[in-house]
Amino acid sequence: MDIKNRILEIVPEAEFSENGSLVAIVPSSNLYTLAKRLKNDEDTSFDYLLSLTGMDFGDSLGVIYHLESTKYGHMIVLQTSTNDKDKPELYSVSDIWKGANINEREAYDFFGIRFINHPDMRRIFLRDDWVGFPLRKDYNDELNPLRMTNEVTEDMTQELTLDKDGTFTNKENIIFDDQEYVINIGPQHPATHGVLRFRTSLQGETIKKIEPYCGYIHRGIEKMCESLTYPQTLALTDRLDYLSCHQSRHALCMCIEKAIGVEIPERVQYIRTIMDELQRIDSHLLFYSCLCMDLGALTAFFYGFRDREKILDIFENTTGGRLIQNYNVIGGVQADLHPNFVKDVKEFSSYMRKILKEYHDIFTGNIIAQQRLKDVGVLSREDAISFGATGGTGRASGWACDTRKRKPYGVYDKVSFKEIVYNEGDSFARYMVRMDEIVESLNIIDQLIDNIPEGEYQVKMKPIIRIPEGKYFASVESSRGEFGVFIDSRGDKSPYRMKFRATGLPLVAAVDTITSGGKIADLIAIGGTLDYIIPEIDR
Amino acid sequence: MNSFFKYFHSLFSGILTLLIGMKTSMKVFLRKKVTEKYPENRDTLKISDRFRGTLVMPHDTENHHKCVACGICQISCPNGSIVVHFDTVVSEDGKKSKVLTNYEYDLGNCMYCQLCVNTCPHDAICFDNSFEHAVFSREKLIKKLNREGSTLVKK
Amino acid sequence: MFDFSIVSSWIHNLLTGVMPEFWAIFLECLAIGIGILLFYAVLAIILIYMERKVCGFFQCRIGPDRVGKFGIFQLFADVIKMLIKEIISLKNSDKFLYALAPFIVIIASILAFSTIQINKGMEIIDFNVGIVFYMAATSLGVLGILLAGWSSNSKFTMISAMRSGAQIISYELSVGLSLLTVVVFTGTLQFSEIIQSQADGWLIFKGHIPVWIAFIIYLIAGNAETNRGPFDLPEAESELTAGYHTEYSGMHFGFFYLSEYLNLFIVAAIAATVFLGGWMPLHISGLDGFNAIMDYIPGFIWFFGKAFFVVFLLMWIRWTFPRLRIDQLLKLEWKILVPIGLFNLALMILVVVFKLHF
Repeated sequence: MDIKNRILEIVPEAEFSENGSLVAIVPSSNLYTLAKRLKNDEDTSFDYLLSLTGMDFGDSLGVIYHLESTKYGHMIVLQTSTNDKDKPELYSVSDIWKGANINEREAYDFFGIRFINHPDMRRIFLRDDWVGFPLRKDYNDELNPLRMTNEVTEDMTQELTLDKDGTFTNKENIIFDDQEYVINIGPQHPATHGVLRFRTSLQGETIKKIEPYCGYIHRGIEKMCESLTYPQTLALTDRLDYLSCHQSRHALCMCIEKAIGVEIPERVQYIRTIMDELQRIDSHLLFYSCLCMDLGALTAFFYGFRDREKILDIFENTTGGRLIQNYNVIGGVQADLHPNFVKDVKEFSSYMRKILKEYHDIFTGNIIAQQRLKDVGVLSREDAISFGATGGTGRASGWACDTRKRKPYGVYDKVSFKEIVYNEGDSFARYMVRMDEIVESLNIIDQLIDNIPEGEYQVKMKPIIRIPEGKYFASVESSRGEFGVFIDSRGDKSPYRMKFRATGLPLVAAVDTITSGGKIADLIAIGGTLDYIIPEIDR
Repeated sequence: MNSFFKYFHSLFSGILTLLIGMKTSMKVFLRKKVTEKYPENRDTLKISDRFRGTLVMPHDTENHHKCVACGICQISCPNGSIVVHFDTVVSEDGKKSKVLTNYEYDLGNCMYCQLCVNTCPHDAICFDNSFEHAVFSREKLIKKLNREGSTLVKK
Repeated sequence: MFDFSIVSSWIHNLLTGVMPEFWAIFLECLAIGIGILLFYAVLAIILIYMERKVCGFFQCRIGPDRVGKFGIFQLFADVIKMLIKEIISLKNSDKFLYALAPFIVIIASILAFSTIQINKGMEIIDFNVGIVFYMAATSLGVLGILLAGWSSNSKFTMISAMRSGAQIISYELSVGLSLLTVVVFTGTLQFSEIIQSQADGWLIFKGHIPVWIAFIIYLIAGNAETNRGPFDLPEAESELTAGYHTEYSGMHFGFFYLSEYLNLFIVAAIAATVFLGGWMPLHISGLDGFNAIMDYIPGFIWFFGKAFFVVFLLMWIRWTFPRLRIDQLLKLEWKILVPIGLFNLALMILVVVFKLHF
């Protein structure tokens, strides 16, 4: 089926550009209808909103939607814009895809685009008293000195509604009313794994509603990237999700390499794939540790950290870093593998397979752990797709969303591995997906480690890298979901707009849905099994 | 009767899983510990030679370095941790050349991305393994990498 | 077998020789009071050190290692640190109750502590309803916890206090039932007589199945009563940060901390006394020579050996299991421990009536 004709059928005014990827440019008035049709029509069924990117095109503000169908696997990019830069208003798609809600708040925060019919039009990362919208090209930074006053948390939120007769009204929605028992879980809380804040409304021990507040570690990485050269932007990806820095950097390198059309040597592909999988094990071990700690099993926490240390040692030998690896570069990797790498990895692989049994003995099988996790925080498959909750969370809900299988990159098409999918959607399934993935990652590594081809570890690149004009997108399976990089290039040595698809943002958006009706202790278990990393959410 | 059986079955299987857990933790209790005693084991501490500790400018025995003060490292640094101070000297045959006076490196700002080392055309700088950076004030983190009186190595 | 009452009566005679009996008893009470406080503090230090070491060993590490050889002075450093810390007063808190709460907790703990018998004749409170007194004293502690949680004027501590109340009051029942089982067997509520009745074999051997069940129930319920993992819900650090003592600092926090460890010891000591014979050496009827050798080992060594064995058992449990959820915790008590405890009590009565014990 030709998606292009299909879009033209629905919106005859649509235009197409094919720089980098196929983009359908749609007038803002038609976008909502088109999006709804694309999602609901049986033959298109774009049910997964991969990414929603706010854009400043210079003379207009707009949004780029990356859509994908979980049924057919096809993709389309929609673009819409408004010329009114003083009062930019676009139609919200948050009732079509649940994940759009939080992403549209991000677009509002950075570009000031107000989404019509969006129920909760507040800033998400920045303070409410922030002046201006930072990712706009005409943004004046001097208006925002470091503020020393407290930020007031509002219990009200704005909604811009379009009535039937075509008039806009500002509506105020209540988040929490005065009578509710609201506690702050976070930003400084042992179980939020970073500076994330949940305002939680309680009824006794039972959770009524959760409102996530992000942005405590927002560093404006996307804005910074706009003024950095491409090699310089690489250093920032390691600081997004520090437990999948190889993968995030792999995504960015892949996107740039695809855009400039470099052929990557086979050896590099192998090295990158092995490193990605080691990183995945590293991340899942930390996941295990932190989940155990959240549930009070402090001893199991140390087991994970003890064995993670071995991976870090392997990393340190080859990449020179333990947490911030700095390994992938455009056109290859920073340095060749350490002479001991193969031996160390093999040793680790056999050790890890043996020691995993202990993990299961002390925690997985434990009746208390099972009771804490089973049937707790069920996320249905539909919700997982609608929120865009990829990674282990999506796979635990029965959504086979592994990017390694869907859009193979690296040498994932050359290895055989199982995509772990559970159908329960509860915390225990989310936990088991990750534990089983450790074994699958070991299988992948075992298949590759003996066959690393000889050759160059780096392609010589030009000193100044320029990407031809166009829009590029590449995604990898990071440790906790589909991590995507979107680059809009105008042919300069630095990107015009760079957007990272955060794997954690949909998870945070889904917390309220997953948790409601659970206990406080369930929130902790759910937070642990969702396995989000705050720096990546806040960027 | 069935529910009665189920009650006891779940009770005993539950107790069994607890005992398995206790067995495992006791096994680890008796195992060798993995703690590293850091300040004492400085001599035996193994750090990869690729580890990025501090940016240094290697000098040879005659106090020569390789930096020609071209400033590429300064340009490629993403957050301005490097400032290359130089004098412009006119040699006898009228050629202008840059001479390094102060290679200023702000350790507190560095994010160890290695771009400076990668882009340096003369391999004048590299990372070494020293990682004990703690000092009492930020000013002390701003370092001068070229030694006093050092000059460019002669070709 | 060394009898400590010789020493105490000698001191008493000495004092009554030089002063009227009132002042003699007054001085003795004073000495005992100071002694008990000192002993309490020293035990707490030993227990905290032990906990940190044992916990470290379970977690593939070596625990405190810096202050002194093997870190033995670590706790003294911690005590000094805690003593010089500022006690913070909170806005909008109930100042009086806020200050009172840690004292209630520690007084309850010391009261329960004084029922422990360390050696033959070395007892402070020993009267005919000793077990009832012990139960009353331990259940006083929950009052302090509730007050602490409520008076701090914080939502987290409030939730913690409510959890704690529900938990401790529920588990009191199981402790009572398991101790009652023993009382049925020995026919006395007095600790010294319970120990005396174990002269020909500890209860855990004499009473077989019902006593084993009671022992396990007691350990679980006792653990829950002291708010230790896997029942540390009131201070579940990943849920409620530090629970009811979140807002406390300095020595006020220190009191909670001390009492937590001492309660652990008290539970272990009572378990050792009631089920494992207290200071009573291991006697096997028929082997007189063996019994005589065992008698040479002083009673307090037997007592501490047993108590610390139980303490280690409790630590082992704590450092292995994840934490329960509040509804599971109450389910465990009301649907499992209480029915089994009641059934066990009936079983014990049958055993006693039909003389099925050793």
